Amino acid sequence: MTYLSILLTAILTANFVLSKFLGICPFLGVSKKLNTAVGMSAAVIFVMALSTAVCYPINNYILLPNGLEYLQTIVCILVIAALVQLVEIILKKFMPPLYNALGIYLPLITTNCAVLGVVLLNFTEGYTYLESLVNSVGAGLGFMLAMVIFSGVRSRLESCDVPKFLQGLPIVLIAASIVSLSFMGFTGLVEGLLG
Amino acid sequence: MKKIKEYAAPTVVLLVICIVAAFLLAVTNNVTAPKIAEVNAENEAKARLVVFSDAKSFGEESINADGIKLVPALDESGATIGYVVVTVQKGYGGDISVMTGVDLDGGVTGVSILSMSETAGLGANASKDSFLGQFVGKISGITVTKNAPAENEIKALTGATITSNAVTAAVNAAIEAAGGENIG
Amino acid sequence: MAEKKSLRKEFTKGLISENPVMRLVLGTCPTLAVTTSIVNALGMGVSAMIVLVCSNIVISALRKIIPSKVRIPAYIVIIASFVTIVQMIVKAFVPALDKSLGVFLPLIVVNCIILGRAEAFAGKNGVIASAVDGLGMGVGFTIALCCMGAIREVIGAGTIFAGAESLLSIAGITGFDGFTLIGENSMINPMTIFILAPGGFFTFGILMACANKLAEKKGKPRAELGGCSACPMAKNCALLAKGEECGEKKEEAAV
Repeated sequence: MTYLSILLTAILTANFVLSKFLGICPFLGVSKKLNTAVGMSAAVIFVMALSTAVCYPINNYILLPNGLEYLQTIVCILVIAALVQLVEIILKKFMPPLYNALGIYLPLITTNCAVLGVVLLNFTEGYTYLESLVNSVGAGLGFMLAMVIFSGVRSRLESCDVPKFLQGLPIVLIAASIVSLSFMGFTGLVEGLLG
Repeated sequence: MKKIKEYAAPTVVLLVICIVAAFLLAVTNNVTAPKIAEVNAENEAKARLVVFSDAKSFGEESINADGIKLVPALDESGATIGYVVVTVQKGYGGDISVMTGVDLDGGVTGVSILSMSETAGLGANASKDSFLGQFVGKISGITVTKNAPAENEIKALTGATITSNAVTAAVNAAIEAAGGENIG
Repeated sequence: MAEKKSLRKEFTKGLISENPVMRLVLGTCPTLAVTTSIVNALGMGVSAMIVLVCSNIVISALRKIIPSKVRIPAYIVIIASFVTIVQMIVKAFVPALDKSLGVFLPLIVVNCIILGRAEAFAGKNGVIASAVDGLGMGVGFTIALCCMGAIREVIGAGTIFAGAESLLSIAGITGFDGFTLIGENSMINPMTIFILAPGGFFTFGILMACANKLAEKKGKPRAELGGCSACPMAKNCALLAKGEECGEKKEEAAV
């Protein structure tokens, strides 16, 4: 039950993009078309889960016992960068179809703050290994949900007559504000559902 | 030969940068770690006095069977007049760590929030005195209401019922833990 | 003389004409997340500025030694070290700020402004110019953050400079902890929505529209999402190699 509540919280109530402001750059930059939005989010889910799977044991079995918590940031970002490169090379070599679908987004993800954010937040929340993984996948799914919804909003926005003052990026941000407002409606949902 | 250089040079440079970086971090950590520990200890001492202002000093902290931290509050003569209890509850945005002062009769002397990550403007208002002050004098079994609070009730924060419930649950757990200590 | 003039240009371009937040649209995550009060915004801006200046100096000093193959990982290590150092200093001397910035303090590592400047400027220019560039960009970032923070704090919480004591206490000043504009029992309530997530997007959108308006008056183009020109990973990006610009350019060309 706790896993379900962690998952739902990460997707809906504490959505990474819309309430924690992590991963805004791709949210605004890559959400113009539905298929790129989905491809990018799928790659994000994959990298989030993978980097949590690798960083968690490194933190708990190497850094913490030796009193090296202060190296967390630097170690995590290096592990993520290396992992992303590695995955890209492997996909390119052995799974070209998957590479064409997801691989092209991978280099953009290294510097995505949502990935490093979820890894670091898992440490501070004190989750177990499995809980961390669930939280990471949930955060990724939440990212995907926000991206997909927002790409829909943006495609409608294209055909709207926007006041000149707000044309371009400003109206996109205001649309994001309204989407984020709708996500606030999920407040209390998880507690209500799962007691 | 050329190949070796092509592969070796980047590796060596990167390695050297990493070693230097790690060394610098270790040095900074050595300098700041005692200071950070000092700040934390100071904050905790301050928070203890806020929740239990009658106490003249505090005894050795102990951890009970449920993993709750208890610190006895002492008067001038060194007799125990109550406990400062730290309890943790899940709030809206993560764990909320609450420090509660409980006297020997099981009444709350004060509540303070050590750490939380609640929404700014809603749940984060829990740290305001207008909310926390309500707990003073309350006894075990505190409940939360959205209307005018009756006896042993706390008025919930506007738009932050989950946070209010979590803090109240933490205070109730603290009273119970302190009571258990008294009987034992 | 010419040297001096160009240094001044490097500094001032970061303030207005190339303001990282309002014009280049970089570092949007912290811009939205930590601007719930001026004090938070200032703390974030100054922390990022210190990291930016230090990493720009070191990277430009090492630019001839670092092989271009391992450029990005080397930059990341350097930036991450400075971020960790700043994080430890903040924890030790301004613990209240560490609490309110939370995870966004270590996340300065992945702030695109810093890696972006390393890649676009420090990796190609001299030490002094890089330091000045970092300072200008850092100040520009701080100003933009403080504007956001001021608007959101006044409207959303009814206070201004709340929590200033935690910053001022380093300088030995105590007793000033901001002004309350809208008291707890006054007739009107602050619009809390402004310090929540939707208010962040909204304020940023309106500010961006104003910045665009000002830029248009001066005959400059409106701020757009930088796309690949601003993206620090552009050179490694497979999309670019395929002739697509993050999936956007191609579409536009087709239309």
